[in-house]
Amino acid sequence: MSRIGVFVCHCGENIGRTVDAAEVARASGNLPGVAHATDYKYMCSDPGQALIKQAVAEKKLDGVVVAACSPHMHEKTFRRATAGAGVNPFLCEMANIREHCSWIHENRPAATAKAIDITRSIVEKLKRNAPLEPIRIPVERRALVIGGGIAGIQAALDIADGGREVVLVEKGPSIGGHMSQLSETFPTLDCSQCILTPRMVEVYQHPRIKLLAYSEVEAVEGYIGNFNVTIRRKARGLDETKCNGCGQCQASCPQKKIPSEFDAGLGKRTAIYVPFPQAVPNIPVIDSGHCARWKGIVKGLKKFACGKCIEACGRGAITFDLEDKIVTEKVGAVVVATGFQLYEIGRDHEADGLKGYGEYGYGRIPDVIDGLQFERLASASGPTAGKLQRPSDGKEPRTIVFLQCVGSRDPAKGIEYCSKICCMYVAKHTMLYRHKVHDGRAVVFYMDIRAGGKGYEEFVRRAIEEDGAEYVRGRVSRLERDGDVVRVQGFDTLSGEPVTIDADLVVLATAMRSQPGIEALAQKLSVSYDRHGFINEAHPKLRPVETNTAGIYVAGACQAPRDIPDSVAMASAAASKVLGLFSNAELEREPNVARVDEATCAGCFHCRRVCAYGAVERKEIRDKKGNLVKVVASVNRGVCQGCGTCQATCPGKSVELEGFTDPQIYAAINAFQG
Amino acid sequence: MKELQDLAAKLLAEKTVGLVIGWEQGPRGARPAFVADPKDAGRLIFDNRCVHNLAAYLSPRRPHLRGFGRIAVAVKGCDVRAVAGLVRESQLKREDVVLLGVRCGGVHDEPTDAGPLTAENLADRCVGCEVREPPRCDHVLGELPPAPPSRDGRRAGRIAELDALDHAARFAFWRQELSRCVRCNACRQVCPLCTCERCLADKTDPPWIESSPHTRANFAWHATRALHLAGRCVDCGECERACPAGIPLNLIGRKVAAVVERRFGYRTTDDPQVPAPIGAWKPDDGQEFIR
Ligand SMILES: Cc1cc2nc3c(=O)[nH]c(=O)nc-3n(C[C@H](O)[C@H](O)[C@H](O)COP(=O)(O)OP(=O)(O)OC[C@H]3O[C@@H](n4cnc5c(N)ncnc54)[C@H](O)[C@@H]3O)c2cc1C
Ligand code: SF4
Ligand code: SF4
Ligand code: SF4
Ligand code: SF4
Ligand code: SF4
Repeated sequence: MSRIGVFVCHCGENIGRTVDAAEVARASGNLPGVAHATDYKYMCSDPGQALIKQAVAEKKLDGVVVAACSPHMHEKTFRRATAGAGVNPFLCEMANIREHCSWIHENRPAATAKAIDITRSIVEKLKRNAPLEPIRIPVERRALVIGGGIAGIQAALDIADGGREVVLVEKGPSIGGHMSQLSETFPTLDCSQCILTPRMVEVYQHPRIKLLAYSEVEAVEGYIGNFNVTIRRKARGLDETKCNGCGQCQASCPQKKIPSEFDAGLGKRTAIYVPFPQAVPNIPVIDSGHCARWKGIVKGLKKFACGKCIEACGRGAITFDLEDKIVTEKVGAVVVATGFQLYEIGRDHEADGLKGYGEYGYGRIPDVIDGLQFERLASASGPTAGKLQRPSDGKEPRTIVFLQCVGSRDPAKGIEYCSKICCMYVAKHTMLYRHKVHDGRAVVFYMDIRAGGKGYEEFVRRAIEEDGAEYVRGRVSRLERDGDVVRVQGFDTLSGEPVTIDADLVVLATAMRSQPGIEALAQKLSVSYDRHGFINEAHPKLRPVETNTAGIYVAGACQAPRDIPDSVAMASAAASKVLGLFSNAELEREPNVARVDEATCAGCFHCRRVCAYGAVERKEIRDKKGNLVKVVASVNRGVCQGCGTCQATCPGKSVELEGFTDPQIYAAINAFQG
Repeated sequence: MKELQDLAAKLLAEKTVGLVIGWEQGPRGARPAFVADPKDAGRLIFDNRCVHNLAAYLSPRRPHLRGFGRIAVAVKGCDVRAVAGLVRESQLKREDVVLLGVRCGGVHDEPTDAGPLTAENLADRCVGCEVREPPRCDHVLGELPPAPPSRDGRRAGRIAELDALDHAARFAFWRQELSRCVRCNACRQVCPLCTCERCLADKTDPPWIESSPHTRANFAWHATRALHLAGRCVDCGECERACPAGIPLNLIGRKVAAVVERRFGYRTTDDPQVPAPIGAWKPDDGQEFIR
């Protein structure tokens, strides 16, 4: 390359204040191989880009260096401009004289000298660039959605309505997620099931949605546009095609005392059960842990116990077929929407390093419950049919104390993050309560109220001003059972005085945590997660629904604590990303991927073991007669994300990243010697 | 010894293997022996002068030995780690080799040294040896000799001394040592784990490591070698023994091994299934940036 153009940007004052851009252009103009150098106030502006195109045409430039900001910001802009001028876009490079120079230095002459060094280094690199062509990959235009909560439901419906097939995998017996357990929802107080169940039915009836409930993702292989997914369909113990959901089996089951997960342990269910009346699909499962017959079969007993449900079923649907089935699906994109779990304060959390809240007596004092349990008590479909009765003796509580931030914002014992939704649902709970028990007392202990959102602050004000909720700022140190009541001992930090309240019921707004087992799923998908187990987005601001693995998107509370409106918005965003990906039968990808030099590769496969994306494969090299000569590494260009880890790891440097080859990097470093 | 010779003869006669690699008496002490004819098996010996790590001959970069088919090789307990390294890194199929493990009571520093082992003449790596009974071998031979005399590790002491120096003094020490390197590459050729098809030092485009022996290039070479062997070096001492310039290469190896152990909780093992840190990516890595 002998006719390189160097374009130095002032970035207004951003660069211009500390770096003399005209001087950088002048010095660069003297470099061997540079045919043209100039500076301009805003290179990324339309006139700035026009300047580049014009210079390429007039001076017959064969390479472009833009000395400006980080390639993260504008590499695409300038590569497009270069391509527009008829030069291969990968013969355009950026020299970062902003983040790496003007922003971090004060001394103008020294910063200018450094900017000249940086630019020279990139000019030397560019001389060793090769023109590259984008990679084209065929796209399987079907999506997998993992998790059938509101986020997964929304994503599946949007993609299916957009004309593409969806496989929706839900691990529980029914879709619906946590939203199906809620009574009414903030900020509008509409009935949760009334707005959710129509969407669940829509999923069930949609011709382009394949619902695989009671199933889990076993393995995911492949890459964007081409994933092969293995799914385990857990044994329900009955033939789904024969069952019509009549419920005779449930009525006949003698095991009637099993705590219901749907009712958060406050109600009971049978061993063969449909979790709730509006479940989708409306097909029962047999709970292997509680069914006497199932346990007998597993133990290998000759004479089977029970079998009442088999007799009760008029359609011969109950087979006691205990084999899980494995199915495979080919999809082009994946949406992860596995939601959250509540911090179970009753459980021992030593394994996750959390200290728990023994002093609140959860699990020991029956009238200390968590938010989901309150939702069930307040719900018309709940164990008390919506009558507020406390668990211990069924009495209507006259005083309820709500504690916010239990486990959240508490680095000492819980988790340091804010669970975001509790302020709102506690306000909702006080309203639901006061609407049912007009003269009851609702007292809330809070740290501060976080009610950002449309209509949210108004909602909390309404709870306080219209529905008479009493808000006490402070933490509660102890809950103790005293005869009939739960004694709440706290501290009002505004008045500076201790407070003691005798409550009939205490509701703990416990932290939202990631789903158990999410790490294993994330590892199967090669997506990263933070140390709390929430899935990481590719960029917190600019790529909120993408993950670091191309073709895998994230929606809802599995990414961070969030409420229904946010979960739905995120799901629709993820769906639109998927539909965007599916808009073409082929996908173009940046060609900055790794390439193995098969002649020198030793086949040690360090690169294969360190590649976080599983992009490195084994390749056998055979001679003409078919004899194995050697086994070498080979990079799947569809999977490789261009992270460069393999290049850094390979001892003999036999694998290189296109666009960042060893000769390029060496030249760039060497140029600093002046 | 008889047991080793008989077994070698049997394996060769039965054609279970085409070659037995062991040790024999040479003109100046013990030396590696290559026995392809069962009649020659009587040459094989094992005693405290058999310091060589014969696993180095199993590297695929020694194609002239490939023609013999399956190979049996005599290994001390510590040598098994090098075999494991080759298997771990796909350089050797375990079933292609028959491991003749010899029970060991420690060795001298050099194959030319003779006489009973004392606290003075014992090789440093044998201090506190835990593998005198060789693990994961196909045959384990000989009587277990008494444990080697006990004493403190010399290199550990030397490393502690160097660690106690300030940066400038430590740098001066290594500058003085490494400036003697003549870049003969003996350390690399003898190393059982330097199995690259084309060593980085031989890469010319770009020449990451200059080939002429001046101090800066020597630093580049030794820093590279140290990092490439981090968590892989089995501490056999062959590099230092091969070095004509007498550079204390094992101080580097040992120091790096200690760092690897501290940072990654990893010690070179004889289990080929356990990945070495250089070739491992764990989703639950302690360092968040890499997840
Ligand atoms: C007490 C309480 C009250 C609330 N009140 C309100 C309110 O009034 N208004 C509001 O906007 N929000 C409210 N929320 C928040 C609301 O529940 C969440 O925003 C919403 O449920 C998030 O939806 P989701 O689909 O992301 O997750 P979830 O509802 O948790 O659904 C996730 C689904 O994925 C499934 N799943 C998990 N792991 C896997 C796997 N590995 N494979 C397959 N499937 C899997 C689960 O079984 C579940 O069905 C409340 C929350 C609580 C705890
Ligand atoms: S690390 Fe290098 S030598 Fe080893 S397999 Fe990968 S490319 Fe080949
Ligand atoms: S650059 Fe290398 S390590 Fe990174 S994704 Fe590609 S093959 Fe894997
Ligand atoms: S001691 Fe030397 S020869 Fe032996 S494995 Fe370590 S670096 Fe290689
Ligand atoms: S020094 Fe490094 S590159 Fe050279 S042979 Fe050894 S491991 Fe391979
Ligand atoms: S054996 Fe010694 S002299 Fe030869 S390259 Fe290695 S360190 Fe240098």
